[in-house]
Amino acid sequence: MTETPVTLRVGATRWTCPFCLLLCDTSTVQVDASGALTLSGTGCACASRALARFSAQPATASPQVGGQDCSLDQAVAAAAQLLAASRQPLFGGLGTDVSGARALYRLACKTGAICDAAEGAALMTTLRATQDRGSFFTTLAEVRTRADLIVCVGGTPVEQAPGFFERCGVGEALVAKRHVVVIGGSAADDAVLATLRTRPGVTAESIPLQGDLFTTVATLSALVAGRAVREAPAALKSLATLLQQARYAVFVGETRGLPAQGALIVESINRTVGTLNQTTRAAAMWLGGGNGAGTVNQVFAWLSGLPLRSRAGPLGLEHEPLCFDAQRLLAEQAVDSLLWVSSFDPDVAPPATALPTIVLGHPDLVSAGASVFIPVSTPGIGSPGHLFRADGSVMLPLFAVYEDTLPTLADVVGRIVEGVR
Amino acid sequence: MSSLRLRGGVVIDPTNGSSADVRDIGVRDGRIVVLTPQEPVDEEVDATGCIVMAGGIDMHTHIGGGKVNLSRLLLPEMQRSGVNPYALPDNALELASCNGCTPGTLATGYRYVEMGYTAAFEPAMMPSNARHTHMEMGDIPVLDHGAYVMLGNDELFLQMLAEKQDFERIRDYMAWTIRASKAMGVKVVNPAGISAFKFNQRKLDVDENHVHWQVTPRQVVHTLARALRELGVPHPLHIHGSNLGVAGNIQSTLDTIDALEGLPAHLTHVQFHAYGTEGAKKFSSAALQLAEAVNANPNVSIDVGQIMFGQTVTASGDSMRQHAQSGLASPRKWVGADIECDAGCGVVPFRYREQSYVNALQWAIGLEIFLLVKDPWRVALTTDHPNGGPFTSYPHLIRLLMDRSFRNEQLAKIHPDVAANSALGSITRELSLHEIAIMTRAGPAKLLGLRDRGHLGVGAAADIAVYRENADREAMFSTPEHVYKDGTLVARAGRVMAVPTGGTHFVEPEYDRGIESYLRKHMASHGSVNYDNVTITHDELCSCCNGGRLLPAALFEPAT
Repeated sequence: MTETPVTLRVGATRWTCPFCLLLCDTSTVQVDASGALTLSGTGCACASRALARFSAQPATASPQVGGQDCSLDQAVAAAAQLLAASRQPLFGGLGTDVSGARALYRLACKTGAICDAAEGAALMTTLRATQDRGSFFTTLAEVRTRADLIVCVGGTPVEQAPGFFERCGVGEALVAKRHVVVIGGSAADDAVLATLRTRPGVTAESIPLQGDLFTTVATLSALVAGRAVREAPAALKSLATLLQQARYAVFVGETRGLPAQGALIVESINRTVGTLNQTTRAAAMWLGGGNGAGTVNQVFAWLSGLPLRSRAGPLGLEHEPLCFDAQRLLAEQAVDSLLWVSSFDPDVAPPATALPTIVLGHPDLVSAGASVFIPVSTPGIGSPGHLFRADGSVMLPLFAVYEDTLPTLADVVGRIVEGVR
Repeated sequence: MSSLRLRGGVVIDPTNGSSADVRDIGVRDGRIVVLTPQEPVDEEVDATGCIVMAGGIDMHTHIGGGKVNLSRLLLPEMQRSGVNPYALPDNALELASCNGCTPGTLATGYRYVEMGYTAAFEPAMMPSNARHTHMEMGDIPVLDHGAYVMLGNDELFLQMLAEKQDFERIRDYMAWTIRASKAMGVKVVNPAGISAFKFNQRKLDVDENHVHWQVTPRQVVHTLARALRELGVPHPLHIHGSNLGVAGNIQSTLDTIDALEGLPAHLTHVQFHAYGTEGAKKFSSAALQLAEAVNANPNVSIDVGQIMFGQTVTASGDSMRQHAQSGLASPRKWVGADIECDAGCGVVPFRYREQSYVNALQWAIGLEIFLLVKDPWRVALTTDHPNGGPFTSYPHLIRLLMDRSFRNEQLAKIHPDVAANSALGSITRELSLHEIAIMTRAGPAKLLGLRDRGHLGVGAAADIAVYRENADREAMFSTPEHVYKDGTLVARAGRVMAVPTGGTHFVEPEYDRGIESYLRKHMASHGSVNYDNVTITHDELCSCCNGGRLLPAALFEPAT
């Protein structure tokens, strides 16, 4: 019966990796004699690096108020007091999973906080392009099963998502011939392509930028639409032809790598996809919103009806994709307190600010100067949880590698909600 | 626990045959009980002058999951009240949530409950999106919920059909999918058409081959309907037919009924599937043909998908048809997707205009269907929220159906050609309260196999709506005096009074476990998720749904 839990190998835990957007779920985590966590199976550098920041001995880090160790009760009370006194709190980072996001929404409603993720800019790049002109997207299993042409915009995504091409089935027999193109890639991307070329049925090419990325994708868009382009570069002309001839072309891009006003690039590619879909099939896959940001965005959207960069303010529910940028709000001193959440990555630290700050997250998170620090369990390490995958359609369960001594973010935030008067 | 007596209301309980009896309703510990007149109760409510019905059940409403959230992400400009943001709630029990055409899950719960509804069903849950869908439904306060899982466009089903694998294996795969996704039923959307669109096919008639798999929608529909019958799943196949929105699609709808060969099925949002090609504009009502087919085929039930004039968004799994109609988007933007070799989606914002000939005719066709189908037990009242209009327009729709003079006043305001020529103006039928009670609670409960919901018989769950009698049916159904969920007062005169967590309805049909190794292998070679992570366990479902109760529905004795 499918309800029975999977039998675990001794010392190994069934695992979904929460540390990149692909949520790979075929590896297990081994606990070795020293208490270190190591991957077994088809792991990747990103997962190994992240796991090295944890050990099988559950963290015993203490909450702190003003840099001094204290009880959880004292830290929660201090956080509640700080938020109650704040006229306009900012919730930033937002590195958590579904249950953490559900709790944060309740607290945001109670305090009128503005919420923006650490990767808010990358998240908004895709979102704003969609809100302006729409989009057509696809998911990993579709790419694996049918994409005969994969076009990476501005570089390959392997640094952020090392297993990307494997997850897309590049080199598998499902699609006999695949062509991978990188527009505006680096030397490192060329090395990635060289590896891909050794796989059966795979061809690859690198196309340098023609001007900047904006001009390149605009030119490509015009060529695909059959518009006259004076002195069009041959490489882009041939790519346009490949796109028109492909059965299922997929554009892939990482939004955090895009230059300022990157939404214009996303919009241009989305328009190209729309043109192609008049005669053949194509789709885009924008990778952004890692470290829980994409998940929190979805949860806030379903609870409130609006995505992040919103608040339950005095006038009501407001969404301001530009004005509610955390960095801008801090720079303009438009907020008077900061609550920072980073459960997955200790390196995603709060921005330097003189404002009263509450930090909730990984025990190693740099919290110097924070008014309140409460270490919380990491979903997928110390507690179970749920995250959305990069493509936004698949939500996967996270499994605890060990039983944590730290509270979950939902527990802590739930207690702060009770304490805010 | 507590006890309650609703005294002296006019009870309309079609399941138990009552036609407007004045009597008391007793409740103890969340269930309907017989109370003697002298028996002391914790609370007694004077219901004289009121109509007492079971809580409303919406069996087809897009309330949660991928395409619903995409609608929210696409259209923040619709989450405003005119030019202003939605005001924060003045009720401490409510959290802030927008009331736009795709409201936040929180607002969805509040607004349904204020209208006297106590359960709602998401009709289009993709297997790969099941966790997300359950998460969203779990964040809808108060309402019980459930979802129909989408099959018939997944490549594996089509492949098995194309390879002429044993029917029993296909049936096992379906049962496994229903269990894994914790679904209440199965929905097919544009049978084989969503998949065909991925292979660049742009149209698929009922007897036309899928360009790659060489199977027809007729085969898909028949196989799915037969399997559900044999599995004993109470809700029969939920069908969003071929050629949605296309002039002349009545033929596809009739062909689909024919493909069933007498097997039970539910045809959803039939208004969008009842178009002829007569007249100067080659677009006409085929409501009469559809109604005759429904009247002649007792194996078929329908919901209407009535359109309401105004701005909304159409969120559908039918990527083939949504792509074809995306040029009509208003505002001019849309989102489409191909998803996980399961299905797809298309989100197209739309404004239905009274002065548009097509929209006006759609409006008339929906009402004609309501009024021409004879058996109310086989008609559910829906707008296919949000696709035809928001669920909050139900009271207005009820008035249109119950009040002929009001209906004809509205008819006179729409496109003059429709007003002059529509058969609607000559239909004299006015639905009774009894018939409305069937279409909004008793009927859906029966069609879903919910034995203890949708009625007020002894032992039923105490989901109750108490409406103040009012000749203006729109006003009456907008704001019930009291609404109870499992015996708890959850709304009072339009104000939310409690926000208990609703339960999840689902079914668990049996199957031969031999299919599991085949599925494991297929997912490893074609999928993107570890087979072991596909199934949502009971414990996980509970956490997805905020600890709400699990409500497994009983299967009927499978027919073989």
